[in-house]
Amino acid sequence: MSQTQAPATSIPIPERETPRAYLTEAQWRKRLDKLAAHPAMRHDNIHLPEGATTKLSGLLLIAGAAALVITILGAFAINARHALAAFEVGLFTCVAMSLGALFLTMVFHSLNAGWTSTVRRQFENVASLLPVCWVMLLGVVLIEVLGGGILLTWLSEEMAGDHLLEQKSPFLNVGFFGVRFLIYGLVWLVLSQIMVRTSLKQDETGQRGLTRVMRFNSGWGLLVFALTTAFFAFDFLMALDFRFFSTMWGVYFFASAALASVSVVVLVLAVLKGMGRLTGAVTEEHFHDLGKLILSFTVFWAYIAFSQYFLIWYSNIPEETAWYVYRTGEGGYKALFLVLAFGHFVAPFCILLFRKVKRITGLLAFMAAYMIAMTVADMIWIVRPMVYVGEHASENPGVWGGIWLDAAGIVAPLCIWGFFLVRAVGASPLIPLKDPMLHEALAHKNYV
Amino acid sequence: MPELPKIPSVSEMMALASDYMPFIPKPAPRYVSEAGKPVHGIIAQFSKTPAVVHAAERVRDAGYTKWDVMTPFPIHGMEESMGIKRTILPAIAAGAAITGVAGALAMQFFMNSDYNIVVQGKPFLAWEPFTPITFELGILVTAFTCLFGMLALNGLPRFHHPLFARDRFLSVSDDTFFICIEASDPNFDPARTRALLESVGAESIELVEDEDR
Amino acid sequence: MSSIHPDKVTAERLAGLREAAHTPGRDEGPSLGDGSLVEDPAIRPPLVLSQRTHSEVTQIVCGYAEDPPPKWWFIAITISSTVAAVGTGMILYLIITGVGVWGLNNQVDWAWDITNFVFWIGIGHAGTLISAILCLLKQRWRTAVNRSAEAMTIFAVICAGIFPGIHVGRVWFAWMLFPIPNSNGIWPNFRSPLLWDVFAVSTYATVSLLFWYMGMIPDVATLRDRADRRLRLGVSKPFMVALPGGREVQLPLPKPDTLRAYIYGLMSLGWRFSSRHWHRYEAAYLVLAGISTPLVLSVHSIVSFDFATSILPGWHTTIVPPYFVAGAIFGGFAMVLFLLIPLRALLPNFKDLLTIRHIENMAKIILVTGMMVGFAYSMEFFIAWYSANKFEFEAFANNRVNPRVAPYWWAYWTMIGCNVLSPQVFWFKKVRQNPWAVWVVAIFVTVGMWFERFVIIVTSLHRAFLPGEWGMFYPTWVDILTFAGSCGIFLTLFLLFVKFLPVFAMAELKAVMPDADPHPHDDDHGEDH
Repeated sequence: MSQTQAPATSIPIPERETPRAYLTEAQWRKRLDKLAAHPAMRHDNIHLPEGATTKLSGLLLIAGAAALVITILGAFAINARHALAAFEVGLFTCVAMSLGALFLTMVFHSLNAGWTSTVRRQFENVASLLPVCWVMLLGVVLIEVLGGGILLTWLSEEMAGDHLLEQKSPFLNVGFFGVRFLIYGLVWLVLSQIMVRTSLKQDETGQRGLTRVMRFNSGWGLLVFALTTAFFAFDFLMALDFRFFSTMWGVYFFASAALASVSVVVLVLAVLKGMGRLTGAVTEEHFHDLGKLILSFTVFWAYIAFSQYFLIWYSNIPEETAWYVYRTGEGGYKALFLVLAFGHFVAPFCILLFRKVKRITGLLAFMAAYMIAMTVADMIWIVRPMVYVGEHASENPGVWGGIWLDAAGIVAPLCIWGFFLVRAVGASPLIPLKDPMLHEALAHKNYV
Repeated sequence: MPELPKIPSVSEMMALASDYMPFIPKPAPRYVSEAGKPVHGIIAQFSKTPAVVHAAERVRDAGYTKWDVMTPFPIHGMEESMGIKRTILPAIAAGAAITGVAGALAMQFFMNSDYNIVVQGKPFLAWEPFTPITFELGILVTAFTCLFGMLALNGLPRFHHPLFARDRFLSVSDDTFFICIEASDPNFDPARTRALLESVGAESIELVEDEDR
Repeated sequence: MSSIHPDKVTAERLAGLREAAHTPGRDEGPSLGDGSLVEDPAIRPPLVLSQRTHSEVTQIVCGYAEDPPPKWWFIAITISSTVAAVGTGMILYLIITGVGVWGLNNQVDWAWDITNFVFWIGIGHAGTLISAILCLLKQRWRTAVNRSAEAMTIFAVICAGIFPGIHVGRVWFAWMLFPIPNSNGIWPNFRSPLLWDVFAVSTYATVSLLFWYMGMIPDVATLRDRADRRLRLGVSKPFMVALPGGREVQLPLPKPDTLRAYIYGLMSLGWRFSSRHWHRYEAAYLVLAGISTPLVLSVHSIVSFDFATSILPGWHTTIVPPYFVAGAIFGGFAMVLFLLIPLRALLPNFKDLLTIRHIENMAKIILVTGMMVGFAYSMEFFIAWYSANKFEFEAFANNRVNPRVAPYWWAYWTMIGCNVLSPQVFWFKKVRQNPWAVWVVAIFVTVGMWFERFVIIVTSLHRAFLPGEWGMFYPTWVDILTFAGSCGIFLTLFLLFVKFLPVFAMAELKAVMPDADPHPHDDDHGEDH
């Protein structure tokens, strides 16, 4: 509006057409060609050379196998309950990372996110390990069922007459537990395969419609994800103490899952950057945003953990409070509780607030590794106190007795899982090659 | 490094205060217009975003320090084009958050130990029930600091400004962009500055006088 | 591109030698509806339609704030302010007489008062969600709805604040809620959830107000400058009032533009659109968004602590904090849609700024949060059974669900129908993209969310542990008129906002328009939007 014309009211707004915005197939192909010429899309920048991962994956496999052997030996040397608990701590961390990655892949699709295009492939790789996790879980389930309830005490004969267990038996019985376990496996397999395969197919064909296929499947996928994650957490973590119950439990596990998955993806990306890959494709801007995700999931975890603790603390009803009494009491668990409060929330929250920490790859990778360690600590805090309770209290070797078994048991599933992850990373292009939002991710920048 | 407030000299502080308090005498102007009024600066008008961003880069490279770009909306990347350092506002806000949290904790610890109430047999000074109010007060103090800190760093409210006297300038709130190079800039020279603004593609250039004096 | 001359193509098509027209495939469908419904994943749909320029956006938004209001506005505000006045009368009546004028009794000692409080505070959550969380998530479409949603937040919090304020009975003792040194030497009880509420709600109201105001500073400056320019050009009209007979009378008041220049001028604090200011402004906005996000979560969590820290079956359950937050977002978005869809129809120029795509996005959020609420309902129910606690299970099965024994079964099933079932229609694109269908669902959700709070509060209280403590709640006319009055206050404030303040965040809208891009790409048409 020029200065001479007064901004009088009631000036009619001219009618105008909205241009119909869409790319024809030819325009889309043209854009793909342009993208292919982008400096970040050089072949060696977004692919790992043949055999680059064999050394690392071999190392992880050997370490995992060795740790597994030590764990099995420990089961005989110290205690089968102790060994299984340690293995479960590592395994639940793996499940959390893979489930969280599946969740975030689906969220990126349903939000139509642009900047995530170049980092999404690593989330897909982590999510693709869900069947691996399920197979390892199957081992745990078989040991539990055949061993007559080692940690899942509701399976054991001794508890048969328990009043609470009788009330809960329509849910806590071997048959229904098996059915649920099969459903988790099936749902996770289908969802992770849809996300991973469709994305890989798009790499080849460059069809934009595949993005809509993934978006569509993310809708219902998130719903069944929420249900299976919650019930997985009930079955495998909450039911370690079948008397305990908390409606928040599924959300609590989910918070860890989301946090650990972003952390592991940051680690993978940092390693790839260290190998001289992804220059220009994943920049400090992407790390900045991933760092923000880590920060926000740290806060979310603290919010859920605090709310659950706080409501149970305040109401002080015996059937719930017992769970926290174990975990804030003797045997070093009080210390672990404080480690979680400060180490899982206060310290990372204060550190990750700094912009620089999120933008320097090395620092953020350190924080990511630290957050995975804290997730492991969280799982220890949940699982480990159930080993030496009740009549088993006399067998307790103390906090540091049998620490080697704890270490081996935790490391074994993580290494085996890591072996498959390294293989998955090496097997496909490091970023989706023909994602419709790739141009946004390549030009991504955080203003302010 | 984010912007750190420089400690101003006495004359700079007097000049700043005179913008807000009419009873403080203004410093002698460096340049006086033909009408005998002090010169505030020169404004150049632009109508396209890329043009004004490009022009700002040129002015920055010419070494000016006391200049500004007025835009109807925040332009992404303008900080870089103008060479503005990051603001320290987030650091101030973090300080405020710590103050709020500490204050809230101190208040609750003091008041609950000064006046003990037995509730459900809970410890008098348990940290758990103090969390909600500690959090809320931390947020409250931070929010106030954010708004008022932003205004203070910007030197607002300032209801009078020489630019507002220019009829042309009022369209900045609609769709027009302006670059203003102030006469107090050490590099300012009426002829050379005008030539620079002309060379960067300004659509019109005007001298801004300080109508007040 | 085709080497054949276009006229030849036309000729061949007319001769039946070619396909009738280009039939777009699944991948590349043309945009539908108003032009915002682009189905191509490679294209960002336009946020402002009809190729509006920055100046036209200013004109659209400021035009409605400067023009005399349309007739429906006068009718609407007359009705809503009358209802608000009746509600205010009820509040006075309650203060003069005592809380006995409500239907509360020894068993159900919290009922509509706290239901209304939680209902309104929940509605207040959408505004801050849109401005803060969607800002952090870089959802640029929020720019079209954040101003009105924030305004709605503040008005809803005002309505919410009324109820806890008056339900304590002797309101002149309300100062005891705050830590004020007094001659009795007593301090508030910081272990009481009700005191946390005082701090949470007052912090929320204050921070929302600051956020809203800060966002509005540049837009109010625009209104100031427009009034100023009309004054300088001497085209401002005197203060005229139209009488029913068609006559116009001049009032002995300053010109409207003079008033605007002063009032908007004061409000805008001398904002002069400097980039150095914008830089700090954006930093402050981001920090405010960053702290408002946990604030939103905390406020409704703290409201939920009122219930969940107790040991009452039906109240004490650990999922309540996130479940209340999801419900608040759910109800808040429903209220945003309930207000904005008619506004968009009544002020037609807004259709370019508030597109079908915006409505569809909000419908999706309603679907997601509705599913979260449904998830929480089912978790509560499942764990109530799984806990094997008889009282807990009774609180759900026999006090809420079972129509044969639960007197409030209708409230429970209304809640389920409105909150869980009705949003399911949003799985269908056709429904999400039909504003009036969305509007109907929004009404259902608003009703459902009121019933949710009613179910939580009243059905948990009306059956306590001993049958001797059982009772029913029946609202009195004062209950009903007070609630109606709060709706009147809410609508009156919203109508005043629509008339006098910029309904859209103009500066933010302009910043997401294609013209604002400092580095436009030189691609072929349709490449970059």
